[in-house]
Amino acid sequence: MNKNNLTRRDFLIKSASLMTVVYIIPDLVSKTEAKPLDEKVSSKTKWAMNIDVDKCTKGCTACVEACIEENGLYGMDRPETDSQWIRKLTLKDIKTEKIVELPMLCQHCENPPCCDVCPTGASFRREDGIVMVNQHTCIGCRYCMMACPFKARSFVHENLTEQLTSAPRGKGCVESCNFCANRIDHGSDMTACEEACQKEGHKAITFGDLSNPKSRVNESLASKPSRRLRSDLKLKQRVTYSGI
Amino acid sequence: MGQNFYRYLFLFIILTPLNISSHNNEPHSIKGSSKADSMTQCVEPTEIMQKEHFVFLYHQRDNTVIDGIRTKQHSLANCIDCHVGYDEKGVAIPINSEGQFCQTCHVQTAVNIDCFSCHATVPRDKGMKRIKASDNNNHLSDKIKDITTYYHSNNYE
Repeated sequence: MNKNNLTRRDFLIKSASLMTVVYIIPDLVSKTEAKPLDEKVSSKTKWAMNIDVDKCTKGCTACVEACIEENGLYGMDRPETDSQWIRKLTLKDIKTEKIVELPMLCQHCENPPCCDVCPTGASFRREDGIVMVNQHTCIGCRYCMMACPFKARSFVHENLTEQLTSAPRGKGCVESCNFCANRIDHGSDMTACEEACQKEGHKAITFGDLSNPKSRVNESLASKPSRRLRSDLKLKQRVTYSGI
Repeated sequence: MGQNFYRYLFLFIILTPLNISSHNNEPHSIKGSSKADSMTQCVEPTEIMQKEHFVFLYHQRDNTVIDGIRTKQHSLANCIDCHVGYDEKGVAIPINSEGQFCQTCHVQTAVNIDCFSCHATVPRDKGMKRIKASDNNNHLSDKIKDITTYYHSNNYE
């Protein structure tokens, strides 16, 4: 009987509102829910970083210090051999003589030369694009360090104590930036260096998921042209730089 | 008189070694100070854990490093968090030191493990060197406080 009372107009209104609820509203609400802990990382997520060199301030080392604290990279006061996952570089453009400071870290290439040369497969690229070292299988041969055009990797030369639970590391293994994989797997979408850069108010580093159009990295990529370092090598790095 | 004196001196010299403990300066964990001591069962039945714990750990480590799976059940960090003992000051004792959970069995079975050249031997988070028992063991803090006051009232160190 109710069925008979449903007019054509009512039917259209109801079905349109149902369609809105089911299909349109979920797309408008940005999906910020994190991957559950028991789920594998997948290539649906593409972690990437963009660094605006114009916003990076001379003499500021907040990102470097944050990385040291996050991963417990306390060294032996031997700068030549101490681990550094991120470091500040000063570059000069030969043609324009523009001098810039920028943070250099593992560029998380899509075609990583470190993984090509690794004899044990310890250097690998995770499904979500993070290039890292499996220290359980790393034999410390350091081929990857020679292969990396960005000098992004470090070797641990000495016995370590006081490692953090979240960042195991030890003598005889190569290590490098892993986009704070432990943090990200636990639901964060911000690396320690980005957090520090935002706290300082520079906002030069932006991190995020390339497949999420509303991520911070996509916004910064859209607002300013960016480029990869040594793009002639065709490594397709996930870390890009704006302003150089 | 003289004979008695020598008798006591002899006894004193014989018994003196019993007074001196070779472990005086080592941190002693308080029995029952780890979280595991207050639980009835580990993450799997005890017989399975005794024989197969390393299988779980190997499996979990590959899942974690390669696939980013961070479940706690078979993770080494969780083992340490639960099994680490605390001394009377509430400071965690490295789990691979003599007499502690990992080392006790591995010495007996002559298994030389290499987990702890890289992994932290006590629960240690960013910004803190050693976690105190009172920070993450709420159910234990009272017990440890009692023991600490007992130690202080009896002029122990």
